[in-house]
Amino acid sequence: MEVSKLPISATQRGKLISAGYTSLSSICSASSSDISRGTQTAWDMLQEEQESLARITTSCADLDNILGGGIGCREVTEIGGVPGIGKTQLGIQLAINVQIPVEFGGLGGKAIYIDTEGSFMVERALQIAGACVEDMLEYTRFLRNDCQVKTQPKDILENIFYFRICSYTEQSAVINYLDKFVSEHKDVKVVIIDSIAFHFRHGFVDLALRTRVLSGIALKLMNLAKKFSLAVVLLNQVTTKYTEGSFQLCLALGFRKVKRMISPSPWEMLLGSQLRFPLEVKSSYLPKTVRSTLTNLAKFIIIFIT
Amino acid sequence: MGTPMTPQNLLDNPLTTEKCTVGCPIIDRCLGGGIPCNSITELVAESGSGKTQFCLQLTLSAQLPSSHGGLSASSLYLHTEFPFPMRRLHQLSHTFRPSNNHNPCDYIFVQSVHSVDQLLDIMPKIESFIKNSSNSRFPIRLIVIDSIAALFRSDFDNTMDDLKKRSFLFFKISGMLKAMAVGFGLAVLVTNQVVDLMEPNEGVNGLRVGNLGCLYSSGRPICPALGIAWANCVNSRLFLSRNEDFVIQKNQMVNGGVGGSGSEDFVCRRTRRSLHVVFAPHLADTSCEFEITREGIFGVER
Repeated sequence: MEVSKLPISATQRGKLISAGYTSLSSICSASSSDISRGTQTAWDMLQEEQESLARITTSCADLDNILGGGIGCREVTEIGGVPGIGKTQLGIQLAINVQIPVEFGGLGGKAIYIDTEGSFMVERALQIAGACVEDMLEYTRFLRNDCQVKTQPKDILENIFYFRICSYTEQSAVINYLDKFVSEHKDVKVVIIDSIAFHFRHGFVDLALRTRVLSGIALKLMNLAKKFSLAVVLLNQVTTKYTEGSFQLCLALGFRKVKRMISPSPWEMLLGSQLRFPLEVKSSYLPKTVRSTLTNLAKFIIIFIT
Repeated sequence: MGTPMTPQNLLDNPLTTEKCTVGCPIIDRCLGGGIPCNSITELVAESGSGKTQFCLQLTLSAQLPSSHGGLSASSLYLHTEFPFPMRRLHQLSHTFRPSNNHNPCDYIFVQSVHSVDQLLDIMPKIESFIKNSSNSRFPIRLIVIDSIAALFRSDFDNTMDDLKKRSFLFFKISGMLKAMAVGFGLAVLVTNQVVDLMEPNEGVNGLRVGNLGCLYSSGRPICPALGIAWANCVNSRLFLSRNEDFVIQKNQMVNGGVGGSGSEDFVCRRTRRSLHVVFAPHLADTSCEFEITREGIFGVER
């Protein structure tokens, strides 16, 4: 008997067929070990985790501390904050810091920057790149080692793949395309989306559809992060919600309130590591001490040197 | 628009975003060259601070050739509140005349907008108008909306439903403007009004947005209208403030020679205006003072 004729719901039929079960006999012959494919030993997992300890520094010791050393690879990290707090600045900084060569303790990777808001300014990126090169020069002088700083600020800009997105359809399309793009450019180590929210806050009347599209995007990004062991950074806007008689800040797109991230003074970024996506994987490998400081604040400043 | 599937090489374009001069070197220096293209800049100020002056001057200086910091472009001026200040524009046009056989007023297109629906209606027309102008000698490279707040502050109630609808429209309009800005390399300047703050703490609901803890104008704490939803829609926000200053001048010139009998002090009232960068992706926390004269807006060095 064909699976397509079974008296089950259309979604279940679809799932069975896409998993390769076309007839009843093929389902019967499936053993439990076949179905639970993709099992891993704890040893493998440990190896993977050690690999994933690669972290991208934010260039701010305090921020790195609360993030457990920086933005983690194989993770989706969401950064939210009020307009003008420095989300884009942090995004540009990460796109540059990911390129710090391995000799200097970096990842020596490339970056994909998906700009939905138009806030990416080339001159600012060039400034930060210049500062990064200068930092590396100082580092070599300090250690008196033979590492030569060959990178120029312009080389750094060349290694940022920049997509400017003007609608949510384009945004979905680019995210679908990322898998192919990254498999062609294996050295991409960070994907930054600035911001995930903007185009989804207009153009959708059906909020349930919006949630479905966003969940799909979130899943794709998490898979991407795992598959290519790269860091995905989502910058998100914040909005206010009226609850219990007062206005509270929360991340846009209404997934979940990030109450614990909000301290009495809202002049801060909300940093959450895989905070609210459907397949929630808590950062459980962080040692307890780090995790408990996750709710703490890190102070940072943004410096402009022209 | 190019194919969105291929990433842009950042080195293909000039390494600084194109800017449109404001028409004054001091203000330009404060803004890193002027109002940036490809994004939305918001100008926030209470009435009488010089928002409209700033916009008018920008439409004139946009016509300057790129060697003078302009875009050699025409502009589109959408006004929502007052009748278009034609006489003031004419007055300013004497200062900013790119060449003799060129009337600057010919290159400023004016359209009045009275409601949000009308704005949404004319958006496609604006787009085709800009597209048609792109082959002319002075393509449109600047859109001014003066002011966005007037559209939204009258039509909506203070209910949850209306506020939700309102912020949906914010994102829609901003999305359209940004798409046009990228597609045609436009500079977009939008003005916004302010509201007085009744609470003692910083910002609305204690929310601080941008560099300045609290915005003060005329000695009162204020904050930009339209709330945090609109703040998410703009790329940069500039703030113009005005404060009355009382300067006491010793009156020695007149009575000094007579022997100092009954020397009265003058009390001069002076308006100090300044421009602050509240937030901008390419600018640090800077500010400068400016004056408004017959000839236009000019920065003052202190």
